[in-house]
Amino acid sequence: MDTTQLLKGVLDLAVLAVLQEEDGYGYDILRRLREAGLEEVGDASVYGTLRRLFAAGLLTTYVVPSESGPHRKYYALNAAGRDQLTRSGKLWRSFATTMDSLLDDRGMAA
Amino acid sequence: MTVTEQEITDYVARVRAALADLPATQRDELTEDLADHLAEFAAETDGTLVERLGQPETYAAELRAAAGATGRGGRNLDQRVASVVARLRGRLRVIDTRLGPVLGYETASEFLRLLRPAWWVLRGYLAAMLVTVISTGGSFWLLPRFGGELLAGLFMLVGFVLASVWLGRRSARLTRWPRWALHASSLVLVIFALAALGNAEDRLGYTDYYYDQTSVDSQYSQIRDVFVYDREGRLVEDARLFDQNGNPIRLGYPDCSRPVDEYGNPLLRPYPYCVEQAPFGHRAPGAVVPTPTVTPGSTATPGSTVTPGPTATAAGAPTATPTGEPTPTPTS
Repeated sequence: MDTTQLLKGVLDLAVLAVLQEEDGYGYDILRRLREAGLEEVGDASVYGTLRRLFAAGLLTTYVVPSESGPHRKYYALNAAGRDQLTRSGKLWRSFATTMDSLLDDRGMAA
Repeated sequence: MTVTEQEITDYVARVRAALADLPATQRDELTEDLADHLAEFAAETDGTLVERLGQPETYAAELRAAAGATGRGGRNLDQRVASVVARLRGRLRVIDTRLGPVLGYETASEFLRLLRPAWWVLRGYLAAMLVTVISTGGSFWLLPRFGGELLAGLFMLVGFVLASVWLGRRSARLTRWPRWALHASSLVLVIFALAALGNAEDRLGYTDYYYDQTSVDSQYSQIRDVFVYDREGRLVEDARLFDQNGNPIRLGYPDCSRPVDEYGNPLLRPYPYCVEQAPFGHRAPGAVVPTPTVTPGSTATPGSTVTPGPTATAAGAPTATPTGEPTPTPTS
């Protein structure tokens, strides 16, 4: 199992988490995810996730003109998005804890 | 910035092509601002798009997975129908708000709502006309008649209009099935109205254009054939009729089959079309001439007017034949 497959399930959560910290545009979000350690995440995955979250009504967008180069489309969490982040975050925590203890019990080193 | 606009356009086109199996709305949703996104992306990185992002097809596959678009068969029929309905609704709403100002209202539907009572009255009238057509067997004019009775028809009209208005004012409170029934019957009335309108249009055109001829036609409409008899009551065959201007008068239509049709156009045939149907009997063409040939056999008795008996039986009028003034045939 490689990271890409694991990412599929949690990319929503990762993107929501990154956006809670600060609004961001496509490439900026990708860069922040990579800086956070998700180096294998691809632009298409992030872009697709953003489109889906936006379509689901969890994000709002606004355009900021840029002096150098094309204007940027910023994504921001709305109330529904923050709500979703809280729920998904809790779910992930309990899931991760379960997985950790499962592995710990069987003597797997972290 | 090393990436050209053309490169971005091509890249987006190839991504869209790779997503061609998705429903158009979903594909548009995924790629509508992809070009902007790629431009943004290109502004911050070096190298070509393919170097930075991989082949468009790979990008499309990743995009598809991330966006949760499954492609073929991903959505069942209900969902697809629902999305079509939703799209149509959206479009109608746009038209509604666009048309409104043209009519002087906020939305077109606001204007149409004002017309509803007028529709209720019209609906009552149409129902009365439908009953008229059914009860009189298809003939109708502008006012309803009940089984041909105008007064009863007018009472029916008033009753139907009142009932229609009553129903209209209460339609919002109807439960599901009665409301469907009301809509369905309204639709039937609309179809009926359109058919009747088409019919009336035809009839107006007809009377306008053929007014003179219809009166003539009606008088001779049941004539199928013309039989001309001469003074002696003999049937004239191959007769032609003309009016004062020399125009041929055409009446009837040949409905019996002639073995050889030497006239081509059946309407150019002389009268009668069907000799066999002569009302007063007819003589076969050969029988008119033979009078003299009979006499020779009966040894030329001048003045014996009785001899042509055989022919007389054939002709309806016995007086017809003897005028031949039995010219004594040369005795051989």
